[in-house]
Amino acid sequence: MHCVRTVTENLYWVGANDHRLALFENIHPIPKGVSYNAYLLLDEKSVLFDTIDWSACRQMLENVEYLLAGKPLDYLVINHVEPDHAASIEEILIRYPEVQIISTEKAFMLMRQFGFHVDSHPCIQVKEGDTYTFGTHTVTFISAPMVHWPEAMVTFDTTNGVLFSADAFGSFMALDGKLFADEVDFDRDWIDEARRYLTNIVGKYGPHIQALLKKAGGILDQIKYICPLHGPVWRENLGYFIEKYDKWSRYEPEVKGVLIVYASMYGNTEAAAQALAARLCEKGVRNVAVYDVSNTHVSYLISESFKYSHIVLASVTYNLGIYPVMKNYLEDMKALNLQNRTFAIIENGSWACKSGDLMQKFIDEEMKNMTVLNERLSLASALHDDKETELDTLANALVSDLNGDT
Amino acid sequence: MLFQTTQAHEDLRAKIRAFAEEEVKPLAFMMDQQNEFPTEAIQKLGKMGLMGIPYPKEYGGAGLDAISYAIAVEELSRVDGGTGVILSAHVSLGSWPIFAFGTEEQKKKYLVPLARGEKLGAFGLTEPNAGSDAGGTETTAVDKGDHYLLNGGKIFITNAPKADTYVVFAVTTPDIGTRGISAFIVEKGWKGFEFGDHYDKMGIRSSSTAELIFNDVKVPKENLLGKEGEGFKIAMATLDGGRIGIAAQALGIAQGAFEQALAYSKERVQFGKPIAAQQSLSFKLADMATKLRCARFLIYSAAELKEHHAPYGMESAMAKMYASDIALEVTNDAVQIFGGTGFLKGMEVERMYRDAKITTIYEGTNEIQRVVIASHLIGKMPKEKGGSSRSVAKKPAPITGVRKHQIFRDGEAQDKVAALVEALKKDGHDFTVGIPLDTPIAQAERVVSAGKGIGDKKNMKLIENLAKAAGAAIGSSRPVAETLKYLPLNRYVGMSGQKFTGNLYIACGISGAVQHLKGIKDASTIVAINKNGNAPIFKNCDYGIVGDVNEILPLLAAALDTGKKQPAPPMVKMKRPPVPKPEPIGKRYVCSGCGYEYIPEIGDEDAEIAPGTLFENLPADWVCPECAEGKEQFIEA
Repeated sequence: MHCVRTVTENLYWVGANDHRLALFENIHPIPKGVSYNAYLLLDEKSVLFDTIDWSACRQMLENVEYLLAGKPLDYLVINHVEPDHAASIEEILIRYPEVQIISTEKAFMLMRQFGFHVDSHPCIQVKEGDTYTFGTHTVTFISAPMVHWPEAMVTFDTTNGVLFSADAFGSFMALDGKLFADEVDFDRDWIDEARRYLTNIVGKYGPHIQALLKKAGGILDQIKYICPLHGPVWRENLGYFIEKYDKWSRYEPEVKGVLIVYASMYGNTEAAAQALAARLCEKGVRNVAVYDVSNTHVSYLISESFKYSHIVLASVTYNLGIYPVMKNYLEDMKALNLQNRTFAIIENGSWACKSGDLMQKFIDEEMKNMTVLNERLSLASALHDDKETELDTLANALVSDLNGDT
Repeated sequence: MLFQTTQAHEDLRAKIRAFAEEEVKPLAFMMDQQNEFPTEAIQKLGKMGLMGIPYPKEYGGAGLDAISYAIAVEELSRVDGGTGVILSAHVSLGSWPIFAFGTEEQKKKYLVPLARGEKLGAFGLTEPNAGSDAGGTETTAVDKGDHYLLNGGKIFITNAPKADTYVVFAVTTPDIGTRGISAFIVEKGWKGFEFGDHYDKMGIRSSSTAELIFNDVKVPKENLLGKEGEGFKIAMATLDGGRIGIAAQALGIAQGAFEQALAYSKERVQFGKPIAAQQSLSFKLADMATKLRCARFLIYSAAELKEHHAPYGMESAMAKMYASDIALEVTNDAVQIFGGTGFLKGMEVERMYRDAKITTIYEGTNEIQRVVIASHLIGKMPKEKGGSSRSVAKKPAPITGVRKHQIFRDGEAQDKVAALVEALKKDGHDFTVGIPLDTPIAQAERVVSAGKGIGDKKNMKLIENLAKAAGAAIGSSRPVAETLKYLPLNRYVGMSGQKFTGNLYIACGISGAVQHLKGIKDASTIVAINKNGNAPIFKNCDYGIVGDVNEILPLLAAALDTGKKQPAPPMVKMKRPPVPKPEPIGKRYVCSGCGYEYIPEIGDEDAEIAPGTLFENLPADWVCPECAEGKEQFIEA
């Protein structure tokens, strides 16, 4: 049975939802699923924009077949070759022997690498600024390298103002019947997963997102719909989401607040983290979040790190080093290019406390434009009353930094 | 060709040999014993026109060739190695850089009197942390508009403090390694230019060797030698030539020892005949003479190449290395031939044996000579990561972060204390108020702390008096509480103990172990009082007094005493500066083909792009090292 939705006149969503996949990219947990979006334009010619993951291929084929109603598919536009969108290309090529493929030079190279037999079909290679007309609809192609692969492009339909934005403006979470962002409470139910998607998948490529936003800025008044490859379609309040993207890709925090991430073996470092959190709230700090690094998947920590302005790392010393899971979180922040944050450090060690110095060194030397507050809380095994002043000094330093006092 | 010196060379040799035998030899033993400089002989050499042998007559020189110069050093060294090196350092090191890189004005002002022998020259490159690796140079010359301000010091400087003119190397652009070094001509007598003690050396004791100390020395702009940043090039070129002088010195010392041994072996009779008749000794003499001839040809050949402006860096390194290596062998054999007699002071071979040793060490150790020779043979090999002097290792920040490091080292104790108190008051410390002596360390605004340097327990009274006068609580280092038990355990300061985060910490007799320093790194002001000026605490303090606690503490207590202290108001923490981060030298760029980031500080080693190369300056055909996209595919990060 087909399962399609209308985006706008002659344009249909022909994707599918996936709740069975546990780990996106086999690394990020997606407890609320994910959608793979593909779109079909029925103009004088029929055009399929991207395909979907192999696991849901049958659903897309049924959708396309239903809408074409016996007519052939004329064009397949590939904006992004990553297999969660491109894995079903081969099935389309087999079923529609006359279909012509439109994509970039690098994308064709990747399609061949992945084993799709594109050369048995006409391949139309396009580059930035090229246009193509399918009847009443004319599209223009905009290259979007490293958002999130080098071959990526986005396609803009100048006739109806639809931007096929590839991985940009996507989100985790299955659509489950909804299609538009205005059909859900995005800021309440979706923003965290949208941020987790962007920061973990494309976080490293902020400069390239900025470059794309700059290009989009030129046609902003013409964009009526944003159709990403994951998550809901945007047709209202586009500025809300574009502003979020702008912040994330400039590595600017979304909120003034304190993220506390602790690594605790027996609860003593945790107790210090909790004591600090309570003290911060007592002093009136409104946005405080606390996570145990050992039982929180790092993708959630990355997302929160992109959200908050201040990050407190509390780590026990482990084999004379940083607790491995905490180290992994630091490495991930570095890999995803997080910048412009203020850190504070809580360190714990029972005979040779090393974690604080090592974390500070990592932040100072491996990451960009980070500040580490001088005030540090050092524990010997557990937090006792004699450290009350140090704890308070640390809390005060965070409060005054949050308030912008220097 | 006939491998022989010219008649003119041999006439010069005869002239210098006669001078050396008459003027230097009679004094050599006395100068060696008494560490005495042959002032008169050097003056006479000047008058004879021999202090500027290889320089043109228009600059006051003799207009002779490089071989003549080598012969002069060789002949002086034949009777006294110390006198030989005075000439070598003067001509090759002190004068040549001015001759080769100086402006016309600099040559007129400095080279002419040097070449005429009216002034003596020297060369200052070596430092405690920079010898063969000049990239470690720490002496700085800061551009102050019409002059440079020179600070730092040089060690092991031949001819110091006798010399009048010094070619000195200093960093003008920090953190870019050898490319940031420049050369300067510095005159003795300038304000702030002083000398350390004359070293007590094993050999060449008639030559003078001392430390150079620069304390805010104003060097006029016109005394920059060459261009800024050319210092390393100038130093290396100078040392290429300097090796010929040292090689000639080694040859001369060995030649002198050989002649002594040959004569002695013909005089000394054992078993009814001169010992020279023993085959074992005659073979030894044959070997010695052969080595000398080899060395001499290597030296003269290098000198001739230099004279004809042919490349000679490798050849001069070979000459220096070989001549000095065999100088040790030949002088050793000479002492052996003399037997017990040669082991006695006053015997020339004994002195020559000691004099020879330095020649394998200075102006590039023989290990470095081998590096030079090998690099000519093999070419430039890829650098080991972090091993090159160009990518200077980052200086580790002191444990306590950014500090003022104002140390009161010299002068009367009273003056040092007064200067300290004035500085503290200027920073805003109010000594009319105070806190109880037993305020918990973590809450104390001020702490006076005792280290093991306090000595006997009765001296804790000094600490107590100072704490009262400064309005401070009392603390200590860990050993003072744990081992000496002068104070309860909860009063020791350190990472494992109490952390002091207040405004003023006065460390008395504390050397500054890492654990202790970590406990005071958040202190706004750290004052160190210790008699050991090299104690780590001085690298970690804002103010320091080098002096005995027994003397300083009572003076400081008296200076701070304001009678009864008013109770201190709640502490207002004085802000500490954050550790400054190095400014990026240029923008980073990201590849649109793969996300690789070009970092100018790192460069691209595989493409032979030196660290420090800006993206704009990458060659047009440079491509992304990860995915081979061109430069135009990069966007600003």
